[in-house]
Amino acid sequence: MATEVLADHRALRAGRRERALAQMEKHDLDVLVLGRQANVRYVSGTPQLWVAGTRPFGPTCVVIRETGAIHLLSTWDEGVPDDIPHENLYGISWNPMNTISVLKGIDGASTAKRVGTDALSPGFAQLLPMAFPNAELVDGELAMRAARRIKTAEEVAALREAIRVAEVGLAAAVAELRPGISEKTLAGVLLEAMAAGGVSTPVTQDAAWVTSRDHPWRRASADGRVQAGDLVAFSSGVLDGGYAGEVGRTWPVGKLDGAADLYRRWNALWGRLYQGCRPGAPAIDLLAAYQAAGEELPPMPIARGLGLGFDPPVVSQHLPATAAEERLEPGMVLAVTGYVWQSGVGAVFGREAVLITSDGPEILTSSAFASVAVGS
Amino acid sequence: MTTPTSFLAAPSSALDIPETPDLERMRRETGARLRSAMADRGVDALILLGNNSVVYATGVSWPLGDAGLSYVERPVAVVLADDPHPHLFLPFREGASSESGLPADHLHGPVYLEFDEGVENFARVVEDLVPAAAVVAVDELTGAMRRAQPRLFRSGRPADAAQIVGAAKLIKTPDELSCIRTACRITDAAIVDVQAALAPGIRQIDLSAGFTRRAFELGAMASMLEPIWQVMPKNKADGVWTTHGDLALPLLTTERELAVGDVLWTDVSITFQGYCSDFGRTWVVGEEPTPRQHAQYHKWREIMDAVLDVTRGGATAAELGRTATKANGGTRPWLPHFYLGHGIGVNAAETPMIGTDLGDEFDENFVLEPGMVLVLEPVVWEDGTGGYRSEEVIVITEEGHIRLTDYPYHPYGER
Repeated sequence: MATEVLADHRALRAGRRERALAQMEKHDLDVLVLGRQANVRYVSGTPQLWVAGTRPFGPTCVVIRETGAIHLLSTWDEGVPDDIPHENLYGISWNPMNTISVLKGIDGASTAKRVGTDALSPGFAQLLPMAFPNAELVDGELAMRAARRIKTAEEVAALREAIRVAEVGLAAAVAELRPGISEKTLAGVLLEAMAAGGVSTPVTQDAAWVTSRDHPWRRASADGRVQAGDLVAFSSGVLDGGYAGEVGRTWPVGKLDGAADLYRRWNALWGRLYQGCRPGAPAIDLLAAYQAAGEELPPMPIARGLGLGFDPPVVSQHLPATAAEERLEPGMVLAVTGYVWQSGVGAVFGREAVLITSDGPEILTSSAFASVAVGS
Repeated sequence: MTTPTSFLAAPSSALDIPETPDLERMRRETGARLRSAMADRGVDALILLGNNSVVYATGVSWPLGDAGLSYVERPVAVVLADDPHPHLFLPFREGASSESGLPADHLHGPVYLEFDEGVENFARVVEDLVPAAAVVAVDELTGAMRRAQPRLFRSGRPADAAQIVGAAKLIKTPDELSCIRTACRITDAAIVDVQAALAPGIRQIDLSAGFTRRAFELGAMASMLEPIWQVMPKNKADGVWTTHGDLALPLLTTERELAVGDVLWTDVSITFQGYCSDFGRTWVVGEEPTPRQHAQYHKWREIMDAVLDVTRGGATAAELGRTATKANGGTRPWLPHFYLGHGIGVNAAETPMIGTDLGDEFDENFVLEPGMVLVLEPVVWEDGTGGYRSEEVIVITEEGHIRLTDYPYHPYGER
């Protein structure tokens, strides 16, 4: 981060826009109306205020395929690249009818035949036809997802930097781990360190938790405090320049019986997951890695694309058919999760960022693993 | 049929707000409000995807994450008009701490509504829960949901659930007020340390770092927006270009070092049990405000006092706006892209919004009722002073209002 709000640099913007326009052509979309922050950042290259949680759909950015013009909801031009001229900016509005009249006036709106949106609300489903009177409204998220799926070289560089900041946060929190500290304080330490490192926009604020000895994944601690003998999971994630960097680790507090064996199981599982991250491999191989290691599949996705928010593939035991159809390709960056649990001991959770290259997987994360017990 | 529920009376003083929220009662009462809003609109079932709506409808709360990831790993709620308990589909972790409030047969595994396979799985459950003829409302449709519309919404096009949740949320139960007040107290306490650290040479981002750490230590569940410490321009004409020619707000925090005399407009928000705080004050870095800057505060104070004087159950939003404008000498004391004030609850800003481009008619027709919560945030500006902006969080009562915050206005306020 700098001392001023800057647009994403030209090469990053150009590579992404080219991919987005190519997918618009492939999906036969004349116009894209985007509301999701990740998509808006992808095509506009403009930093926007980070707000926690999902946002309701609203037309925040409009892309016209024929001219490549970008129209952006932004009341000011700070951080807006110079290829989006002032006349293409429209201000914050609380009245959807005013937004619709802005869209109506965009060159190409009246003649568009197919308009894609990245999500939709019943309200805008009714209003958008007023702005695009000759168009069929279709799903535009598939096109954006296809564009985001493979990272350009500039995107990979941005992801490396985001991961670096996430690892700074993780290290700071691990250094504070001791009996009596609360999960929230650990989260506060982690978020503080990432902000001091220049980024105040987290991917996750659920940053540290005592793993349960009694249940494969529920929260263990009623009062949210760490005790000697706990296995404490850390999930550090930061959105840096719009890109999600993530890393996960688990550290024991003091000595605990059975922990060494659990870490060994995690290592064995990770070896198989790593093997699964080959270019050309079906994503379902990652689910199979758990089975081959004899580990139960955890309830969370065991892999998902890292980029601006979530990207394909999302590999979950709840989406086996999706995982079977999806193939890993060079240029994908995945957050891959290993999760093992032992009754009476707790869980070891570890998350690595993996770049798929034509030569095989490259692990982008480098945080230390627990090898000896900390605290006491 | 809807279970009849007697609501606790709207509070008339701060004493009527419980010190600690009863979360089970809160969920019961917000649930009853929601089902009553459904009944008013003839809706039999709600499918809710938006994080804030799910918090409101189910009472679960979790540290909200980035939007991008939240689309794929998010809780989903299904609310039925004749069932006091919502159905909840939970991903790993999210809401796990609060899940015990719901019967086991209402808790489901995660659903992935971004994917056709995920929607297919979800539709099978919905078919069991929601009768084919039921009128269904939804707040968001993913692409995969749009492709599966005939299956998901068997009685036809879904209604807009945002309107229904919005109507229910307008009036807060005493336990919701307790959550908002606790969120505000945590925020105010965390800000004390931030303001103490304010000095020339500190970076904007260091204020964010210190605030976040302290807020979490004090029990915040999540930060709701990246903290804002905007350095105001000397003159409006020196500020960044805007679509309306007035001031920009909020501009993003950077690693910029603060200098003596910088005027900061601050804005932060955190959650407690899913309910938001709001905090805004104007600060000067490294020196006392000048007499002209103090005068800005006093003008702001006059406007705020005039507005608070007319703020009570039965007043219209337009009345508050007119009063503020009159106290400001005929000019609206707020930025064109914002408002004089807004509601707050599970969203950091929600209906009612006073003085927006929704227009005068909306404001004339919007009547304040006891139990509504407002954040009032007038803005005054005179070139050369950096202006003044602060926020007050109040609960509307029959007779007037209750303040939920008492953070001082230092270094402004005294000449």
